[in-house]
Amino acid sequence: MSNILKNFKNVIVSILSILLAFVIGAIIMAALGASPITALQYLMIGAFGSAQNIGTTLAKATPLIFTALCACFAYKCGVFNLGGEGQFIIGSIASCYVALRLGVTGFFGMFLCLLAGALAGGIWGMIPGILKITRGQNEMIISIMLNYVATLFMGVVYTNYLRDGSVPQTVAVPEEVQIPRMFPKMRFTWAFLIAVLLGFIIYYFLYHTSSGFKLRAVGINMTASRFNGVPVTRYILMSFIISGAIAGLGGSAELLGTQYRLINGFASGYGFDGVAMALIGMLNPIATVIVAIFFAALRSGATTMQAATGVPTSVSDIIQALVIVFSVAGMALTKLPEFEAFLGRFKRKKGEE
Amino acid sequence: MSELLRMEHVSKRFGDFYANKDVNLSIEKGEVHTLLGENGAGKSTLMNVLIGLYQPTEGKIFLNGKEVRIETPSQAVDYGIGMVHQHFMLVEAMTVFENMILGDRKNKGLFIDKEARRKEILELADKYDFNIELDKYITELSVGEQQRVEILKALYRGADLLILDEPSAALTDIEVEGLFAMMRQLTAEGKSIIFISHKMREVLHISDRISILRAGELIATVKNENIDGQDLANMMIGHELSEAKYEKVVSDQEEVISLDHCSFQKQSKHNSINGVSLSVHRGEIVGIAGVDGNGQTQLAQLITGVIRPEEGHINIHGHEVKMYDPGHFIDMGVAHIPEDRNLQGLIGDMSIAENMVLKATHSPRFSFLNGWKLKHGSIRKNAKEMTEKYDVRCRSINQDVRSLSGGNQQKIILAREFESNPEIIVAAHPTRGLDIGATRFVRDSMVEARDKGTGILLISADFDEIIEMSDRILVIFEGQIMGEYSGQNPPIEEISLAMTGK
Repeated sequence: MSNILKNFKNVIVSILSILLAFVIGAIIMAALGASPITALQYLMIGAFGSAQNIGTTLAKATPLIFTALCACFAYKCGVFNLGGEGQFIIGSIASCYVALRLGVTGFFGMFLCLLAGALAGGIWGMIPGILKITRGQNEMIISIMLNYVATLFMGVVYTNYLRDGSVPQTVAVPEEVQIPRMFPKMRFTWAFLIAVLLGFIIYYFLYHTSSGFKLRAVGINMTASRFNGVPVTRYILMSFIISGAIAGLGGSAELLGTQYRLINGFASGYGFDGVAMALIGMLNPIATVIVAIFFAALRSGATTMQAATGVPTSVSDIIQALVIVFSVAGMALTKLPEFEAFLGRFKRKKGEE
Repeated sequence: MSELLRMEHVSKRFGDFYANKDVNLSIEKGEVHTLLGENGAGKSTLMNVLIGLYQPTEGKIFLNGKEVRIETPSQAVDYGIGMVHQHFMLVEAMTVFENMILGDRKNKGLFIDKEARRKEILELADKYDFNIELDKYITELSVGEQQRVEILKALYRGADLLILDEPSAALTDIEVEGLFAMMRQLTAEGKSIIFISHKMREVLHISDRISILRAGELIATVKNENIDGQDLANMMIGHELSEAKYEKVVSDQEEVISLDHCSFQKQSKHNSINGVSLSVHRGEIVGIAGVDGNGQTQLAQLITGVIRPEEGHINIHGHEVKMYDPGHFIDMGVAHIPEDRNLQGLIGDMSIAENMVLKATHSPRFSFLNGWKLKHGSIRKNAKEMTEKYDVRCRSINQDVRSLSGGNQQKIILAREFESNPEIIVAAHPTRGLDIGATRFVRDSMVEARDKGTGILLISADFDEIIEMSDRILVIFEGQIMGEYSGQNPPIEEISLAMTGK
């Protein structure tokens, strides 16, 4: 009962933050001389107005779901993996290499590419994990730094090893290993389904298995977990590897499903977007998936809104940023004792009636 | 004697809950006034009102006959009220001097006139016979010295009313004597002291008057004449509670765990273990007596596999332990009631039900397929049975354990540890911070487990608890075992001497 109540409170906070962000977004639109209602209508139409638009939204959502789940998984074990972007990129590089150089073909080839991506992402995620458990290094700093290493390494790859003629980008991956679309007219691929399924699998793991239970325990109180026999360092390392593998899988899915080639700006910003979405999703994997789709909708709808009403796409960025600000503030608010007291009074009054 | 402080009809309400209700308290100049009450009786709330952390919902506070409103802790300092908290509020990485001048507003300019400040502090220290080294770091001081720094700090700020919250909890007997001597000197000068303590002996020894709080209300204020501990205890809990008497046994059963010349960081005197050998047999309670900080923490962690001995080894059931890991010790039947229940025992943001199965989620009782599918039904059923059996007061088994009171949290640990049918229970300060009822329950449970054949190692800084519970008593001092005594008619004088290293 109290669990439901707790979740209910979280959902309310999220919904209120979104509404507030839209209210302020609408004020900005009005200040720009556009009708907020029309602008928001076009935002909606752009995101969900037709099968094609929905397809674009879901295609945009796919990589975000992966990086958000990556952040979510590590957070649940109490460690901060801010290296989702680096792991995403390393995954895509490994995948790109396997696709272009090993000459794999067909469904099996595609599977191998994805596997290589997940493995490489896992190894990249393992580095801050090992440094943390053996040397006590701060995992946030190491993982952020590794993002730069990965981005720059990708630069080396597309300007040297896998360069496409004289253009600074890699050759496109062969068609046989590209992930096909689920519906020909819609842009999103089977990778979207994988991402959503992954959300459910992670949810099951965290809340319905003994290992997931222990992982959450480690995430809340490492000392007590150790005293109660949980091999804490092993769980921390495991969470880094799996978290990295999720991002790496996302990177290869993005490469094989949407971009087909590595190029300057590939994956830029996905890592931190993922962290924000995991937080707004209150670290619940399923909620995180929904939040990622919501953000993708704001992004894909923004272009239509700009074209139809002249409201610039950056207003959509402002709304996204405000959602993050409000939900973080809202979460902090619900933890205040004053708020608890207020809620308690409210509940009791309702009880009396 | 004239009155320094008067609290009139003070109430503090949180929501619908009265932490203090209509309290009338008067403190005279130059008296030691004790506040006595169980946990949750409202002592801390009342003091927090006095030092400006809380605002009273109703009521008035008078200082020297004038009504005052104390809205912030710094205002309380201005009014001459100083508090020494049970957990010292010192910055450990700073020196004594830096701590003394921290937050001090005597400095008007941009720079600190260190020489002037030093002179003032040293003069003050001289006056009270404090032996204080201003350039030592707080971490280098013993608990007793840290406390003196706290008291001096309050005096330096000009406190006329000193609140001491359980000041003797962590001190040796000799240090307590020193503390009392200082308290007498302060009161002789006309300063007043509010003394908070559970230790009846000390209360009767030092107090001029005693106020008893129960469930937020002030039951009575009595002069310390012609009363005894039993009277006070009865007023405190509101009904007669007979002293528990536990039968002492001599175990003739086999040994379950033993330490063989174990050492851990033995070069240090504090928090170390130095060549300790001891054993616990089935069906006995072995008590470890000693002043806090003499290696008890490390002893408990060694016996539960949290830390690894640097020298020597541990035997369980006669076999030498090869792997020092808490999980391994748990598998061998070692249960642990850790000294810090929130930090070490419980996962605060998880539910009661989840905390109850913390060690057992891989067992077939609570999961299928070796942990791949938790049996939420069994987990819930277990929690319902356990909360009933151990009388955990909660709204629901899905409630986060963080929101429970200390006693109920401890019951959850007890339920988890006792119900795992352990061979050995290591109980570190199992009743610390619990009220009389909960303490009784914990002790009864331990004796019950002993009678079922469990070997229990009881580590406690509460001397009376050791004397009351133990079948055998070992005294620890600076990481060494100073002596072994029978639990039947234990030689109390001798044991308390051994605790100070003699």
